Amino acid sequence: MHPILGRATWLASYVAVWTLAAILMAAVPTWLGLAWVDSLVLLVPLFLVYSFACLSAWYVCRGFPLRSGVMLRVLASCALAALTASAVWLAIARAWITLLSVTSTFAPAAPRYEEQLPLLFAVGVLLFLLAIAVHYAWLAVEAARDAERQRFELEAVTREAELRALRAQLNPHFLYNSLNSISALTAVDPAGARRMCLLLGDFLRSTLSVSGHNEIRLADELALADRFLDIEQIRFGPRLRVERRIDPTASACRVPPLILQPLVENAVVHGIAGLLNGGVIRLDIARRNGSLSIAIENPCDADTSGADSGAGGRGVGLDNVRRRLAVMFGRDARLETRAEPGLFRAQLDLPWSLHD
Amino acid sequence: MIDAPPLRLRIAIVDDEDLARAVIREYLADLPDVEIVAECANGFEAVKAVAELRPDLLLLDVQMPKLNGFEVLDLVGRDVAVIFVTAYDQYALRAFDVHAVDYLLKPFSAERLAEAVSRARERAGRGERLPIRGLADAARAGHGFAGRVLVRDGPRVHVIPVATVDYVQAQDDYVCFRSGGKDYLKEQTLAEVEASLDPARFVRIHRSYLLNLERLARVELDARENRIAVLTDGRRLPVSRSGYQRLSAMLGH
Repeated sequence: MHPILGRATWLASYVAVWTLAAILMAAVPTWLGLAWVDSLVLLVPLFLVYSFACLSAWYVCRGFPLRSGVMLRVLASCALAALTASAVWLAIARAWITLLSVTSTFAPAAPRYEEQLPLLFAVGVLLFLLAIAVHYAWLAVEAARDAERQRFELEAVTREAELRALRAQLNPHFLYNSLNSISALTAVDPAGARRMCLLLGDFLRSTLSVSGHNEIRLADELALADRFLDIEQIRFGPRLRVERRIDPTASACRVPPLILQPLVENAVVHGIAGLLNGGVIRLDIARRNGSLSIAIENPCDADTSGADSGAGGRGVGLDNVRRRLAVMFGRDARLETRAEPGLFRAQLDLPWSLHD
Repeated sequence: MIDAPPLRLRIAIVDDEDLARAVIREYLADLPDVEIVAECANGFEAVKAVAELRPDLLLLDVQMPKLNGFEVLDLVGRDVAVIFVTAYDQYALRAFDVHAVDYLLKPFSAERLAEAVSRARERAGRGERLPIRGLADAARAGHGFAGRVLVRDGPRVHVIPVATVDYVQAQDDYVCFRSGGKDYLKEQTLAEVEASLDPARFVRIHRSYLLNLERLARVELDARENRIAVLTDGRRLPVSRSGYQRLSAMLGH
């Protein structure tokens, strides 16, 4: 349905404009010496009927959007629609004159009105073309407004994802535990305490600096994840072991910042930390079928209790990664996770694009 | 009046991180009349240490593999005072509920630990005991119904998946979990157990019995018109009048 039909005020103004047009049009026959009353009785109903016929221009405009390359077809369609509409209008006008001729006052003037019908046909074509022009303009305004709203929405989602990512990176418990480790090291291993301070400083600085970018080199993201693992290594000692298999050509590939680090953190917090003797995190990065494949596998407690295995839960960090992938790549990127008893695997696939 | 001689506190440190234990060890070294009797890297070791060494005080981390701090407390909380030591502040309310002596947030100062230890010393001097109720609730708080039951057998911990429990029987101050042909005793009330288990799976068929519905073969009438639940392994349990109503409602007759 045409949107104007749903809004009473718009519809009323529209009808008013057409009535005014009908009155102006009625002036033409009076120059030819015909009566005002007759002209109005004939033309006002005809114009009102045509005003609704012209709303069909909306369908014409939507069916034939203005695009370069198909302009001829669009013009032809518009002309055809205008001629058809006006022809129908002409038939209705003829019938209306015949009907009015039944009355004695109108009957004498009827033939003179019939003479003017070609003029009415021309006016009908012009009016319909005008309606099409107005509709195209209106649709263009709407499209622009939609595009703007969509852009705002996308921006909001992106900002929110960035914020969440940043907040997830600056996981306070990670900081508290690291500070507690430093507190312990100051007495037993001052050099170790200093090293941990430096690692923590590096990690925080790079987290803050990359989070402002849309994409970074995989090498930088890997360095960030390594920094995180170095810090956790000090906490967990031999319980945390990492095996890396990384395609060296992948290091120049572009990735969104902080996309790998949450997966690594997840493997530590929900995997290694829950195991008495720890285990090995396997990180596998390769180029596969034109996309960048990042796989992370970690052992986890097979009989995960109903009790806490980590604050925040496994889902938050991974959901965050998924949302950001959806915003940035749509269907071209995906994160799949598989949980088996004792093993957790995350597979991340991103479009391959090199940093210049 | 002569002051009582200062109480020598025997302490066990429970944390899965070496460095976290190291900082506590370092702080405690400067405190008078404390003795570290055990350092445990996980909950099982903690339970064993409490059973064998009977410390006065546990310095207990919350997030640990296999058994978390609250589960450890569920198993040994009647025998020992506890100070929680954790990086997470969201467990403070639960710690308060189970009457933990104190709650230290990592990283913490030597003074803060000294304060907590002296509080524990005061409590021990007054001979206060931890409440028995609510420990199991705290152990699974926020996680819906229990997926497993923890039972202590001296220094050992049995982890019993709820699905393997046939029925639970009240026995004086204890409850007895029947699972895999064995009985496991735990100091708890049947009402507490009932509240912790999924009501769609376990039904109170009698004042003294909580039955796993999956083990029910049929209900019979005995010679004196009493209803008897016959389990899939042939074992027969009494069913009370109200227990039968609950059972019928569950089975949809």
